[in-house]
Amino acid sequence: MSGDLVAVAVEEERCIGGGQCEMLEPEVFLLDDDEAISSVIGSGVLPRPRAEVVVHRCPGAAISIVEHPEASGTDG
Amino acid sequence: MSPTAVPAPILAPEIADPRLYLDGIPHERFARIRAIPGLAWHPYGDNGFWAVTRHADVRAVSRNPTVFSSAIGHTNLWDLEADALEARRSLIDTDAPDHTRLRRMVAGAFTPKNIRRWEDAVREITVELLDIFVAQGGGDWVDMVAAPLPIRVILAMLGVPVADAGYLVELSNYLVEGTGDTQSLPPDAFGNTTELRLLPFNSPASHALFEYGDEMRSKRRAEPRDDLVTHLVEAEAEGGRISRHEYRHLFHLLVFAGNETTRTAISHGAMALAANPDQWQRVLDDPELVEPATEEIIRWATPVLHMRRTAATDCELAGTPIAAGEKLVMWYGSANRDEAVFANPLRFDVGRRTSEHFAFGGGGPHLCLGAFLARLEVSVLLQEMAARRLFLEQLGEPVRVASNFVHGVLSVDMAPGGAS
Repeated sequence: MSGDLVAVAVEEERCIGGGQCEMLEPEVFLLDDDEAISSVIGSGVLPRPRAEVVVHRCPGAAISIVEHPEASGTDG
Repeated sequence: MSPTAVPAPILAPEIADPRLYLDGIPHERFARIRAIPGLAWHPYGDNGFWAVTRHADVRAVSRNPTVFSSAIGHTNLWDLEADALEARRSLIDTDAPDHTRLRRMVAGAFTPKNIRRWEDAVREITVELLDIFVAQGGGDWVDMVAAPLPIRVILAMLGVPVADAGYLVELSNYLVEGTGDTQSLPPDAFGNTTELRLLPFNSPASHALFEYGDEMRSKRRAEPRDDLVTHLVEAEAEGGRISRHEYRHLFHLLVFAGNETTRTAISHGAMALAANPDQWQRVLDDPELVEPATEEIIRWATPVLHMRRTAATDCELAGTPIAAGEKLVMWYGSANRDEAVFANPLRFDVGRRTSEHFAFGGGGPHLCLGAFLARLEVSVLLQEMAARRLFLEQLGEPVRVASNFVHGVLSVDMAPGGAS
């Protein structure tokens, strides 16, 4: 269902520091001050549709969705 | 040319002639090209290019840099000899891993969080410029607001004295000329002795900008500060994380792209607000519209009109076979008026709830480095105009740049009106 939470991951080598992830989801992604490489912060989970938008907008195709272990165990 | 088994491609109407752009983007021609199935071929010079005009196709090219290379050929329409390509190569004309390495040298300064730190400085400059504009009863909007705002901000970030802003805007104007087909400078201007074909935009102004960057480099080597030039100089010193050549071209790019593009956005934005006072009234009535209005102004302006890629291998796009070595040119102004993505695309609408415009590039790794800075500058300007309930009245036609590459405005007279 659309409310499913999914985890997201950043592939560091592909990240070009475009900042779309931090713009869209500032509570989940933060770019470092030096080389602007993104990393996942906080819980690192998002509702699936929002995660898909971030994946779609990442200019380096560096972000992927990983099914959240807890969410995948919930079918309700 | 195409192999005999492949039907001859449909030819695109002329869109590369710089003089066409004196009347603005030829939207009607681009609409015709978007409607052509597959890709249309546009003759240019000795060969030509595939005209990539639809939003989806621009995205597909942008996001596949392995096939559609920035490094194999030049990223502008015309081809360069191998030595010129190397001499002129900047961040723009690289692929990964060089592109990633160079971008990381400067990207930290341009993240959303770090750009927000410049908000007060941007506001201070904006207030000063708007107050003068209103007090003097208006004038040339480009000269009074659109040009000084972004150049002062990027110079502050670089650590360049603001007193030199006028000189660097002048150099930028000469560089813009180099994207058209007329140059007003003699080849030896600014003491240039380099062959023009080896200089960005074929312009002796590039020599002057390189020299200026070298001077900044020497100053910051002697006396480091907390600014971008110092950061780059240290990266060069620390085991050559960037080369001297790369420093010169990054400085050139940051000054030029950091002022010319946002200047264009602010110029077209002012014209759009003057022509659509109902849209400006909506922003005044609802401050939450500043953000979508900012995106709409940037879509509307599309300051950089195209970038070219070169096919690294035989491939296919939109059902059209493309041979290795062929050129593809992404026309961002066309993607930003694609009726498949934008309802009423020729309408200026501050309430659009999409930021999927391609004014910062087509969504691939060459995404505009200064996107968040441009957004900040435009949004602070709108906020300060709104605080003054400043309506703009356009007086006469703008003077546009004859260029198929930058959507530039040299001057446009505006008068303040409607302030209550």
